[in-house]
Amino acid sequence: MPTLGTRIADWLDEPVPLLRLEIVRIAAPLAVLGFMSSRLAHADEWIGQAGFRVPDLGGDWRQPLFVPALPDWLAWTLAGVMVASGLACAAGYKARPSAAIFAATLAFVALSDRLAAFTVSKLSPVVMLAVALGPAGSILGIDAWRRGGTGERPPAMQPIGSVRFLQLLPVVIYSASGIAKARGDWLHHPLVLWSHLHDSYQTPIAFALASMLPGWLWTVFQALVLAFEMLAPLWFGWSRTRPYALVFGLGMHAMIGLMFGPVVWFALLMMTVLLAGHTPERLVVKWSRPFAA
Amino acid sequence: MRRWLLVCLAAAYLAGVWLDGVGSTLPSSILPRSANYFLQVSALFPYAAVASIDYRAEGWVCADGANGANGKWEELDTRPYFPLDADNKENRFQRVMHFYRDNRPTMHALEAYLMNAHDAGLHDDGIPRNVPIAGVRFSSLRIPLPQPGEPLTRSERKPLSEYPESERQLFYHTRRSKLDARCAGEHDGTSEESD
Repeated sequence: MPTLGTRIADWLDEPVPLLRLEIVRIAAPLAVLGFMSSRLAHADEWIGQAGFRVPDLGGDWRQPLFVPALPDWLAWTLAGVMVASGLACAAGYKARPSAAIFAATLAFVALSDRLAAFTVSKLSPVVMLAVALGPAGSILGIDAWRRGGTGERPPAMQPIGSVRFLQLLPVVIYSASGIAKARGDWLHHPLVLWSHLHDSYQTPIAFALASMLPGWLWTVFQALVLAFEMLAPLWFGWSRTRPYALVFGLGMHAMIGLMFGPVVWFALLMMTVLLAGHTPERLVVKWSRPFAA
Repeated sequence: MRRWLLVCLAAAYLAGVWLDGVGSTLPSSILPRSANYFLQVSALFPYAAVASIDYRAEGWVCADGANGANGKWEELDTRPYFPLDADNKENRFQRVMHFYRDNRPTMHALEAYLMNAHDAGLHDDGIPRNVPIAGVRFSSLRIPLPQPGEPLTRSERKPLSEYPESERQLFYHTRRSKLDARCAGEHDGTSEESD
């Protein structure tokens, strides 16, 4: 009878398609840079001295860490490093160090300015760190292309802890999010989703759907989202339901991205992690064939 | 060894994300705030919105340089001074209000920032550039949500004056004595007497 530790070790040692990590390595930095683009365009206001800074509140719970404003030239330099490292990572140029540098810049700005920090700000350093700790850039991108003529192609399947982490990450987030929703209003207020359609996040699509669809349908959507999130460990843990969970998750994030303006970048980041981690194995293996042994 | 260290760190992170999301105080009780902050990614939209909320600022314009009694509040468009995501609630001014509207040091700092920014005269903010302001006040708009089936209108930013008083909630203003003093030309440095 294998112990829990043995089972975990076996699961971690099981080869997984390297392409899963490459998908995250390519698409996640682009989604994150999309999110950061509005901030990067105003780097001096964001993390420099040109904009408003919340003063040092000496341990106030709303301020995780007081980081003084950077001189404007340094703010612009940091913005440049973020863009360069993110694009280098996506292009597969020195992919692992690029991912590590990108993660460091992301962590810094998340702490430096709480005001412009959202879920993507806090999640992205961890995702990029996972990329940096895995064999990123092995089969796709500039590094792989430069190695192409000199070495063997890397195995398409290998044990990769980063991939296992990225497979668990959305499931953990959904599960916790579902429980938070159930503890909040989602079980007893029938129009939670509807209530979030009317502020400055509203897109033309959100307005059109809110105008056209009957109220009860928003309650149905709400119930579906709650069931999906709360039971995510089941949907993604059981191989039979996993493809359906993937499709539902991608659809849910697509709708979030289309209906809630700036949340589109969070949606794209989550879709990347979902697609990379939970696309059926046979498909990913098939897609890997042109690039790996 | 390195592998198991990474496994333990990854497991601790995932456990922390889950615990924080479900409302446990365990992560925040054992981790530094800066580390705990990165775990706060999963409790997304747990509550229904009760209104569409928008935050606004006004500046006190002295009447012909005379004392404050004859002045008036005029809307001060903060977007030129908070250009990042200017037109939605991810704007940094909206976020300052969301997080810190009851934090006096932050409100004082914001007051000083907006007054200096207006006085610098580099942007159009709804109050003529050559007209100094003697103070500010901040309020929230709480716009009622429609019910399903009601005619809808697109979310848009209208001037503050177009919203009824019942939808406005004032939560910070420069004290009247300070406004009077500034309009009379008395320089006061900080604005710690504001409330």
